Amino acid sequence: MLDLYLGISPKSDLILLQMLSERLNKRSFLHVNSTRAGGGVAEILQRMLPMLESLGIHARWEVIEGDEKFFDTTKKIHNALQGKEEIITKDMWNHYFEINRKNAFKINLEADAVLIHDPQPAPLIEFKKTGTWIWRCHIDVSNPQKRVWDHLSRYCKKYDAAIFSVAKFARAMGIDEFVILPSIDPLSEKNRKLTEQEINETLNKFQIPLDRNVILQVSRFDRFKDPLGVIEAYRTVKKYNDCILILAGSPATDDPEGEIVLNEVREYAGNDPDIYILLLPPFSDKDINALQRIATIILQKSLKEGFGLTVTESLWKGKPVIGGAVGGIPHQIIHGVTGFLVHSVEGAAFRIRQLLSNPGMAKSMGEKAREYVRNNFLITRQVRDYLSVWHSMENKGLNVLEL
Amino acid sequence: MEEIKPFEFKQCVSILKSTGKKAKNIRELRDIIAKVSEECIFHHTYQYFLKGHVLEYTSDFAHWAGESLEERALSEQLSNIDPYDFKNINDLRNELINVIDRYLKEFPEPRAAMPGDEFYFNETITLIFPVGIRARNLAEFLTAIKYIDLGSMYYHFYEARMRLGGGIDDFSRWIEETLWKKELAEKIRAIDPFMHNLEKIKEHIVSTVEDEVRKDMEVIDRCLTYI
Repeated sequence: MLDLYLGISPKSDLILLQMLSERLNKRSFLHVNSTRAGGGVAEILQRMLPMLESLGIHARWEVIEGDEKFFDTTKKIHNALQGKEEIITKDMWNHYFEINRKNAFKINLEADAVLIHDPQPAPLIEFKKTGTWIWRCHIDVSNPQKRVWDHLSRYCKKYDAAIFSVAKFARAMGIDEFVILPSIDPLSEKNRKLTEQEINETLNKFQIPLDRNVILQVSRFDRFKDPLGVIEAYRTVKKYNDCILILAGSPATDDPEGEIVLNEVREYAGNDPDIYILLLPPFSDKDINALQRIATIILQKSLKEGFGLTVTESLWKGKPVIGGAVGGIPHQIIHGVTGFLVHSVEGAAFRIRQLLSNPGMAKSMGEKAREYVRNNFLITRQVRDYLSVWHSMENKGLNVLEL
Repeated sequence: MEEIKPFEFKQCVSILKSTGKKAKNIRELRDIIAKVSEECIFHHTYQYFLKGHVLEYTSDFAHWAGESLEERALSEQLSNIDPYDFKNINDLRNELINVIDRYLKEFPEPRAAMPGDEFYFNETITLIFPVGIRARNLAEFLTAIKYIDLGSMYYHFYEARMRLGGGIDDFSRWIEETLWKKELAEKIRAIDPFMHNLEKIKEHIVSTVEDEVRKDMEVIDRCLTYI
């Protein structure tokens, strides 16, 4: 399976993956999360498990089961960890633990390395039998509601190590804390190379003309993604450069504000025939891929962001990205190299004009963007990092490991 | 005839590890620099060169002072510290502290970073592995160096200076000790690691070695014409 990534991922990542897997050959690696489908974690696990298997590692993926009350509670925990005020009663915490206890008896938790993803299954650590247990936190916990974090961290501190997505998300818990940046799979439906025919299918479906420059933002209709700011920036640009704007996103079903924001966007766009508001149903990966490939410039003008894997996807398509300097975006957009970081609508408009007026600059940035993703944000690097953390935990105390 | 010891290209990969410490202003930065591990100082200074893009700054400390605090003068002073001037990491640590202390004497109340933009102190676990390329002579070395990853360049040209001590890179060491080409080794040593990014260093080495290979070939040509 690793062969599929030859010529795509950096050769050195593939060599290191092979060398690490020789050392971890036939050892068992268990992943536990709370959903088999939907969400970035499940998406990456679906791709990662076969890769680990092909490397000779006995990888297993288990999903905890819970009732409505459990998932209501974990949703609230999730929100509180990201800074929102939530009340989690003693009864809810007890239920949260109880569901984990039941799962601990159902799931075989014996493995050489166990990676527990996110807060939902965190209490499983209380039922640890063998191996190295690592808590993998995918969310931004840099500014959590203190009471909720204090409760949850009682479990997290019992792990052998923790992994966060960005350095500033890490907490001082007194255990080894690693930083592993997220990744995309270059072979997935959202990122694989498309044929001209496949791209045309999408263009025909949405009646998108290709006679002018295309500015694109792919994101949920959410105020934190600043869709109105994007339209305002486009209007400024339009005075100087003829272009069309595509705002593409799935309706946020779990967000009651989604509908309101979408209506605001529609109203603000008015009857401008050059603004395309596309409501994409779930599983529109191929369409998103095609839109990113035909875009001249891609925006991610977020006001608040997690890591922002849509930025990674866009950079991978060889496009310069103009993004808000928030969350994980500055890790991906090197200002003036792979795109531009902006702090205002005016900044976004100026950078769009700059790139539209200098196609050579846009092309060269796009090339650097793709290389930057190749070297830093592909799934092979993430698997390499997981195996490196596992290997280093088995060689604790050594800062340099020679293979 | 004594067999030539081939040059084995290796590479290093670093896994980032958080120390859990962060600074929101220069005073805190100074106090934490004074007590963090050597690995942490190493990561924020020497390993800055592993970043293969623009070198507006020369360390994470200078970068933070310039971008997050907008303390331009301090940023310039920190950027001017060449880590390769120091025999060990604690000497480098002391120089960082001296520069910050001098600045604080002049500007005792510097601004604080915005929340979320604090300086996060990290260190790394480094994995070293062979990349499966060996060179037995200068021509092979030249071909190899054109194709190796920048991570391998970093390992042999930057990291080697601290790993082996003496501030000497692996390339010039092998060229001098195995190929007995002292002059070429000195030309490579003359490339200032502090003033270029990895890509530029690679270009410099390729062109220097290429000149030498061409010169060697020309000597052979001249010999042939005498026959």
